[in-house]
Amino acid sequence: MTISIQVHKLTKTYEYFKKEPGLAGSLKSLFWREKLYNEAIKGISFEIGEGELVGFLGPNGAGKTTTLKILSGILYPTSGEAKVLGYTPWKREPAYQRQFSIVMGQKNQLWWDLPAQESFILNRDIYEIDPKTYSHNLGELTELFDIKDIIDVPVRKLSLGQRMKCELAAALLHSPKVLFLDEPTIGLDIISQEKIRNYLKEYNKLKKTTVLLTSHYMRDVERLCNRVVVINNGRIIYDGSVDDLMHSYADHKVIRLRFSHEYKGDGGLDKYGEVIERNGLSVVLKTSKVDIARSTARMLNELPVEDLSVEEVEIEEVIKKIFTG
Amino acid sequence: MRYLKLYRVFLFQNLKEDMIYRSNFMTLVIMDIGFVGISVILFKIIYSHVNTIAGWTFDQSLILIGSVGIIREMAYLTFRRGFLELGSHIRTGTFDLFMTRPIAPNLHLAFRHVSLSESFGEAVMGGALVVYGLMHLHHWNWISILLYGVFLLNSLLIYYGFSLLMNSVVFWVIKSQELNTIVYFFMETSRYPGDIFRGVGKIIFTFIIPIGIIATVPASILTGRIGWGFAVTALIVGSVFLSTGLLVWRKSIEHYSSASG
Repeated sequence: MTISIQVHKLTKTYEYFKKEPGLAGSLKSLFWREKLYNEAIKGISFEIGEGELVGFLGPNGAGKTTTLKILSGILYPTSGEAKVLGYTPWKREPAYQRQFSIVMGQKNQLWWDLPAQESFILNRDIYEIDPKTYSHNLGELTELFDIKDIIDVPVRKLSLGQRMKCELAAALLHSPKVLFLDEPTIGLDIISQEKIRNYLKEYNKLKKTTVLLTSHYMRDVERLCNRVVVINNGRIIYDGSVDDLMHSYADHKVIRLRFSHEYKGDGGLDKYGEVIERNGLSVVLKTSKVDIARSTARMLNELPVEDLSVEEVEIEEVIKKIFTG
Repeated sequence: MRYLKLYRVFLFQNLKEDMIYRSNFMTLVIMDIGFVGISVILFKIIYSHVNTIAGWTFDQSLILIGSVGIIREMAYLTFRRGFLELGSHIRTGTFDLFMTRPIAPNLHLAFRHVSLSESFGEAVMGGALVVYGLMHLHHWNWISILLYGVFLLNSLLIYYGFSLLMNSVVFWVIKSQELNTIVYFFMETSRYPGDIFRGVGKIIFTFIIPIGIIATVPASILTGRIGWGFAVTALIVGSVFLSTGLLVWRKSIEHYSSASG
């Protein structure tokens, strides 16, 4: 497998100044400021192969966005090395810039007052896409993202979800080999989120584009990526498949029960597992994975069970557990 | 060549955007004409007391004022509004976009905000003043008009270099409102003939803050008031300002810290 992204011991330290609260503090800071350092990323290393779809997971301020910005040449690292498609990103060589794209969920790249199509045309000229390739790609993307009807409407009149689809299309017109996505589903409703995920998954399958996406929605990663890199406080704390992550960190399962009638047995339900939710005749329990078979058997014997299902813990839970230790 | 083509595409894009707010356009034009009018009246008042200022007659001064208007519009048609927007791009982190596209960030920033309307009235008025002043001159020829064009361009480059230097500071201090006020006064003050400066003042306002060159040199060329020596000096100042401006800008960009989003 060809490697498309290579990161070695990358660090980034931001400098900033301490400011005391209030006007007095502001005045004071005019004359004397204390310099503070914030290590956003502390020596991370990883490799991503061509065509991989990798999720970057972590709480706010973990260093996900900083890493993405370094890889797209927006920021200079403090130390360390990185190569994307063989280029050093922060040299910002046009040859590299023509081959990648970055989409940030919170930053608008389209011209606000004009229809998205105008921004597409501009990108065609910026990236020097030849007319034939352009119309082919445009056709393909409008089809895939289902935006045929909205690319003639001024961007400011679009909904957030529609805008995101247009943003993605604009970023993909030049068929980038590497795509960085920073929180692509942020602020979207569940249905739009799901749509964006489907489009991305399909696009990756179709074009074999290497995708590195950050998100704090676990669903994004669960649905999209085979591999996940978990980052916290500027360090990588997990790098591997989503399945393995679940396997090694999720030591329990969730059991959903429905009783046929009110259960009034002695000792409550605590002996079967930790009760997460109890609502009339419905109960949700968390039980250790080790003796799952025995405990479900016990429940079926001793409780007035009408319906029982065993489920995996949500990835959200798993991540929470990693972060809180 | 590629950049010329891109400039054209961006220009049309900006025009489309401008046309959405048509009433704004008319207000700007009327305001500009008003401001130039006030300048002319001010000069008229001064000239009612004296015949010449540092050797400049009233008609020659009109060419000077007119040249400032023309240079301003040239700047708005190229880089000026981009710099006005730079501060907000940096504060909100939208400058990211300029860092990731295969165009030089300074040109992308400039092209993104090309504005025809911002100084349009001033340019029309300026053109009229230059033509009016020219008709009252005794001697002029086509070569001097051609040279006038060349030196207007040179002044535009000085203006660009100066703007680059001032705006590079933004990457360190994040807020830029005050910086562009300085740039504004830079152009305002260049309305007065450079010949009024003497001694140390002349050196400062020629080489360090070149307001004695910007409008004075092109206008002097048109009115036949200049020797070759000073014209060549102006060209040298132009290339030095442009190249140091670009150099400092490139270094400053490395300091861009984006905004976390």
